[in-house]
Amino acid sequence: MFTTDIVIGLEVHAELATKTKLFSSCPRIGSEQPNTRVDPVTLGHPGSRPVLNAKALEYGIKLCLALECNIAPSLVFSRKSYFYPDMSKNFQITQYEEPLGSAGNVPITGKKIALKRIHLEEDPAALSYPGSMHSSQYVLIDYNRAGNPLLEIVTEPVITSPAEAREFLNQLILVLQYLGIFDETCVIKADANVSLKENDYTRVEIKNISGFKELERALNYEITRQRTYLKRNLPIKQETRGWDETSKTTKSLRTKESEDDYGYIYEPDIPVVAIKEETVQKLKANLPELAHQKAARYTREFSIDPIDAQVMASDKDLAALFETVLKNVDPKLAARWLRRELLRVLNYNKKTITSMEITPEHLIPLFQLVEKKSISDNTAQELMEKLMESPFDVTAYVKEHNLAQVNDENEILKAVKEAIDKNHQAVDDFHNGEQKALQYLVGQVMRLTKGKANPQQTQRLLKEQLSP
Amino acid sequence: MTPAEVNETYHAFTVLQEISPTNSGTLDGTTISVKDNILVKDVETTACSRILKGYKPAFDATAVSRLRAAGATIVGKTSMDAFGFGSWNLNPGLDYPIPKNPRFPGKVPGGSSGGAAIAAATLPNHVALAESTGGSIETPACCCGVIGYCPAYGAVSRHGLISYADSLDKIGIMAQAVDQLIPVLNVITGPDSMDGTTLQEPIKLSAPEKLRVGVIKEGMHDVAQEVQEAVQASIKKLGNSCEIVDISLPITMKYGVAAYYLISTSEASTNLARFCGLRYGQHGNPKHKGFNEYFSSIRSEHFNTETKRRILLGTYARMAGYRDAYYVKAQAVRKAIRKEYTEALEKVDVLVSPTLPIVAPDIEEATKLTPAQTYAMDRLTVGPNMAGLPHASIPVSKQPISILATAQTDGALLAFLKKIEAQ
Repeated sequence: MFTTDIVIGLEVHAELATKTKLFSSCPRIGSEQPNTRVDPVTLGHPGSRPVLNAKALEYGIKLCLALECNIAPSLVFSRKSYFYPDMSKNFQITQYEEPLGSAGNVPITGKKIALKRIHLEEDPAALSYPGSMHSSQYVLIDYNRAGNPLLEIVTEPVITSPAEAREFLNQLILVLQYLGIFDETCVIKADANVSLKENDYTRVEIKNISGFKELERALNYEITRQRTYLKRNLPIKQETRGWDETSKTTKSLRTKESEDDYGYIYEPDIPVVAIKEETVQKLKANLPELAHQKAARYTREFSIDPIDAQVMASDKDLAALFETVLKNVDPKLAARWLRRELLRVLNYNKKTITSMEITPEHLIPLFQLVEKKSISDNTAQELMEKLMESPFDVTAYVKEHNLAQVNDENEILKAVKEAIDKNHQAVDDFHNGEQKALQYLVGQVMRLTKGKANPQQTQRLLKEQLSP
Repeated sequence: MTPAEVNETYHAFTVLQEISPTNSGTLDGTTISVKDNILVKDVETTACSRILKGYKPAFDATAVSRLRAAGATIVGKTSMDAFGFGSWNLNPGLDYPIPKNPRFPGKVPGGSSGGAAIAAATLPNHVALAESTGGSIETPACCCGVIGYCPAYGAVSRHGLISYADSLDKIGIMAQAVDQLIPVLNVITGPDSMDGTTLQEPIKLSAPEKLRVGVIKEGMHDVAQEVQEAVQASIKKLGNSCEIVDISLPITMKYGVAAYYLISTSEASTNLARFCGLRYGQHGNPKHKGFNEYFSSIRSEHFNTETKRRILLGTYARMAGYRDAYYVKAQAVRKAIRKEYTEALEKVDVLVSPTLPIVAPDIEEATKLTPAQTYAMDRLTVGPNMAGLPHASIPVSKQPISILATAQTDGALLAFLKKIEAQ
């Protein structure tokens, strides 16, 4: 069945941005003091019972629709039983028999990563071992996180490299961001199954990987580890390993001979309800345009370079800014200036689109001036940098400081002639084949015009004047 | 008698405590006792199990808060088989005394709501709040000679009920007279956002002019002679006021007990997993060798035998390799049972049988029964419980013998009960 050198399958958990937990009205965010965001349901008190958070279901359906999954006809929850202190009831309410979504895919460059299933489940509590897991005398349990709504997304084992896995997770995160259903302050967690052709595809599971950077690292490490073992003729058994972020290695957790027996039963406190077709259709109609759809549209409708389109679509806020700006500015110009210049200046100032004070009302006039060639690119760059420090009225500023570009052929010609006149050495160098001399002369024209001469016209006129 | 006297003589209560109403209403002057698996805020609630000794809930069960808001006074928590596991109330938790039957001395009080039945039988102006999973209201009602009424599944919110089996548990009531039932039902039934399984529609209290009564054929076979005679006599007395027909419920009568015990114990084994010496209840030895040893020892120490038996049975029934043959199969049987009842109740308004296949046993006799023999005593009550239909037990003899009636609506059921009461 498998043919590639490396086979990877991922199981990803994303926390939904609901106000309250998955099965009770206990707040999902707020106090970080341990065991303060709890209620009887969270702590599994006798007499308490789960009631489904309708928003969580809505978010789950949205993700399934965005990733082209088949939506289950009914919502069915199950109890997964195991005794562990992070589960206050000693069972987790999850979806076993019938996941909310099945099949579906996440598009990455060149292929679509097929999904197996998407389902809702509750988060366990957080355990902390003072010191380390091995040396600690006791474990502390914080139930603040317990009961938080999670979406579990499982891929088919069709990922063939750590880089692909990273891209998959990135794209998934983008979709979640665009849908607005995901708590971005919570790191996405992944478990990965890795197997190598050279090892007859024996599966090793790696648990507890946080974020896409660690995912790529963990996978690279594990693949290297397995290959090293094989070279040394050491056996690689089917087992579960944990990714240790501190040492950047995987460590054996337990050997798995068979599936754990969780004794699944249906969750009787949450009645099985039909997922109505009208509900699904309504959510489908209101789905926002997703990143990969935007990127394709930018290229298709506005002839934006595909890479530029992808970069802009990858940032929800940048894409929104672009779509506002392009109502008044040539799209390709807007794309170039946002994708390159704005991002450059943002990065330099360690700001984000949401934290910057610059608005479309500042950018549109700036880009229009560039479009009309009223200012030079250099001037525009400087103005962008100034705007980032503190915003101002661009048009007024340009007027006030006389920054307008000189596009008048006659004026430029005057300066060109003067430059040629005063720089015989450079002219000779140019005639001797040195292209650099031309740039020198352009620079001289700029100096004479205080940087305002239109660079393209300057070059053209210089070349004309210099030709024999 | 006062609650204190009742408790002194019959050990019906786990906690004697008077709790005032929060408001005045239709139940002014009524006293209520609360089965110990139903939460009363700040009052020790243990489901009559030692593992919860000292546990004081942070909230009232919805049924309790509604009763208090309607003017009822709570007098205490009543004894039961631990967690609801039992048909005779001979299995209260370790350290709890076995309650005594006030009407028929020497006989079992019936379970699991034995304490509730005793309170209903002895206290004036009293309605006992109880709970049934497979027969825990009707059986003790029969044993103590009172009326035991179990509304439909979902009619009363289970918010604040310590779960035995969530797909089967129902809160209900016991009283001496039918007229006491309706005011209480009106108060405790109704939707509750804290319980996703509550019914949205109110209970239907209307009834047809002439009731069609279906006598369950299999329910009259294989029962003690006195039981058969008493029930037959009562049905005959209905005379021309009702249309009497024979109804057969073969699947229910043959497989009901097995399906019930598989489903209820499977669910119960998950519901009781939370009792592990953490977060609340009894705590264990701090000098333990790890989580597994800790929780295992505390459960072994504080659960009574029947609790352990049902957890083991239920865990087994849902483990890989057995799940399909037991848990999954039992679900299919339950579906068939529901169908049998639905079809039967299209033909008749009320289905009847005896509540117990024998006259309520002496404590000695009951103790000699094997678990399987005891479970088999539920064969007449598991049907309506599995089908989630309103049903009730009402005495038909000077001996502890009762009729069990099941209907589609509370109205039809109450109308039938009134007829029997009038006899």
